[in-house]
Amino acid sequence: MFVDARTLPPKFIIDADVCIVGAGAAGITLARDLCGGTRKIALLESGNFDFDADTQKLYAGEVVGHAYTPLDRDRLRYLGGTTNHWQGSCRPFDALDLADWPFGVDELAPFYRQADDICQLSSHTFEPMDWSSEEARPLELGEGASLKNGVFLYSPPTRFGTAYRNDLAAAAGLTVYLNANLLQIDTDDAGTGVSGLQVACLNGNRGRARARFYVLAAGGIENARLLLNADQVQKSGLGNQYDLVGRYFMDHPFVPLAATIVAHAASPQMRFYDHHVVRGQIIEGYLSASDEVRRKEKLPPFAIGIRPAGVNVNEGVGNLRLPPALRNMMSENIANRLTYYLPRLLNRMETPVTWINDRLWLNPPGAYTTVYTCGADPDPASRVTLTNTLDALGMRETRLDWRLPADLERNMHRAHELLAQELGRSGTGRLRIESSATTGYDPMEDLGEGHHHMGTTRMHDDPRRGVVDADSRVHGIGNLFIAGSSVFPSYACDDPTMTIVALALRLSSHLKSALG
Amino acid sequence: MRKTRRVVLACLACTPGLPLMLRAGSGFATGDGGELDAAMLRSLVADPRRARLLGYRYRAQFPAEDHPDVLTDLIRSSLGLPDGRVAAITRASLLSVLDARVRSEFGVGNIVGVDGWLLARTEARLCALCE
Ligand SMILES: Cc1cc2nc3c(=O)[nH]c(=O)nc-3n(C[C@H](O)[C@H](O)[C@H](O)COP(=O)(O)OP(=O)(O)OC[C@H]3O[C@@H](n4cnc5c(N)ncnc54)[C@H](O)[C@@H]3O)c2cc1C
Repeated sequence: MFVDARTLPPKFIIDADVCIVGAGAAGITLARDLCGGTRKIALLESGNFDFDADTQKLYAGEVVGHAYTPLDRDRLRYLGGTTNHWQGSCRPFDALDLADWPFGVDELAPFYRQADDICQLSSHTFEPMDWSSEEARPLELGEGASLKNGVFLYSPPTRFGTAYRNDLAAAAGLTVYLNANLLQIDTDDAGTGVSGLQVACLNGNRGRARARFYVLAAGGIENARLLLNADQVQKSGLGNQYDLVGRYFMDHPFVPLAATIVAHAASPQMRFYDHHVVRGQIIEGYLSASDEVRRKEKLPPFAIGIRPAGVNVNEGVGNLRLPPALRNMMSENIANRLTYYLPRLLNRMETPVTWINDRLWLNPPGAYTTVYTCGADPDPASRVTLTNTLDALGMRETRLDWRLPADLERNMHRAHELLAQELGRSGTGRLRIESSATTGYDPMEDLGEGHHHMGTTRMHDDPRRGVVDADSRVHGIGNLFIAGSSVFPSYACDDPTMTIVALALRLSSHLKSALG
Repeated sequence: MRKTRRVVLACLACTPGLPLMLRAGSGFATGDGGELDAAMLRSLVADPRRARLLGYRYRAQFPAEDHPDVLTDLIRSSLGLPDGRVAAITRASLLSVLDARVRSEFGVGNIVGVDGWLLARTEARLCALCE
């Protein structure tokens, strides 16, 4: 059932067994899985069914440190959350990626299988050879090769708010409160248990939510903001006794033109590493270091994709930046949608643009560029803090200080050396690394981010090293849990949402047994 | 001059191939017993004009190799052809020896960066011979 919190009586009280804050990928997955039996679940969502500019402004914040997409553009604040403009790239973490996590890949495996279905993938296999075809096949990497193949599968992409709206409306025991913002987390005097949530609507209506268990699922930056703002009892914020909340912010650096490749025109090996469709499923291959080389050379997890070179839809429109004047003429939502949907749409269709692009000089035959992304060691200086600016509800806004991995350029260079070796060894082509010193172009100037907000409430069994424990429970607080990529203690080059969904399912199973 | 991404892409559009791919077509007579000299090696390069530019850079990077005789010797010995005679070797088999050598150099990481391109040592030397 959906309820508009603005229409509730003043000083309303919401009672539930579990109260979840935020209806994005994490919150919706958790709510859908938890409901059933006699359980009463409340899902508080800041936004409505669709975009609203005033609600979106609640995401405003400051960016210091490395350049980053403005915080009120990156995320979306309405039912479905940021999945309303995610791109849909999915891939589970592997054993090496989870090395710093309190549990291994076996623990997540059954949840990943469910996550595939929730993200509407057409298959469960991430084995590159299963996606090989005549037109697009992975490089044959022999025994002992320094690189390995990988593959991302693309969700349609699932807009969680739209795809699961009917389920949410019909689910027994579940009430979704729209326009309901968590404002403050109240605790007992010792700060060891949450006693209730203060809830506020932008029309001035206010109330409280009370539950046995509370779950913050408000996104990778907002989860930290909510804990830091809850400073009534613990002055540094909830769960922040060791100054960890907001630290270790991670995102994927994304370098769109790190190197150029000359290969045989229309090489099926080159095509494999760009978006393409196999048996109705959009996939994208990538190359990364073999586990052995990664360990031996202490390389970060990285992924190299390959695109046809040229000012083409992949590169040019793919990074569409709307001129400010045009953006101002449109609502943020339309601007956001245009920025993210148009390139993807063009990429996947034979349009006049792609036609011209493919046939004119814009796309020289046999010339390709690489796109590079990577993980890195978590850095405590990369962090989210609060500013003194208050939003329309009186909450302090966020400040993001994103630090790039220290060895980014060196590792990117090494990754491309490994690729050049493989291209040369297999006779596929040759590679040129772009750098201001050699070719006069510095790819770092076009470095962007993956729009993946991770690490700000990291998971670790030791409260001195993590904000939540292995069950996603905030250390020291018996009934407060966190869902979403803010709990990732480390990250690979895989996109986070599939793992967010898998972790939400895992948390659901934990809460179900706790509820009895 | 600082280049933008667009300029790089546009330049690439004008560089559809690299000199490094070896030329398989006609050339010296097969099994002619000739000396495996600089001229013969040069004739194997598909695009000497482009090779020249890379070769120029390579020679500047490795001044000790900045002489055709030195380069020819180095290439010859890397190919494992002992006396420099190509009595029994056809152009096709010489190309395949070269190709195998280049691939194996890539395989073991015997590569060199020239103007940003990562080349096998032997093919970089071949380019330098064209300069
Ligand atoms: C352009 C773009 C492309 C992306 N592409 C990919 C991709 O290809 N693959 C991938 O894996 N990931 C991708 N992502 C990231 C992906 O969107 C997120 O990982 C995912 O949406 C996070 O889910 P979440 O539920 O944790 O947070 P969100 O989806 O952001 O949902 C949080 C919800 O909480 C609500 N909320 C916030 N604060 C409050 C509050 N105080 N009270 C009540 N409710 C609140 C919000 O309104 C929102 O609905 C992309 C992101 C962007 C921006």
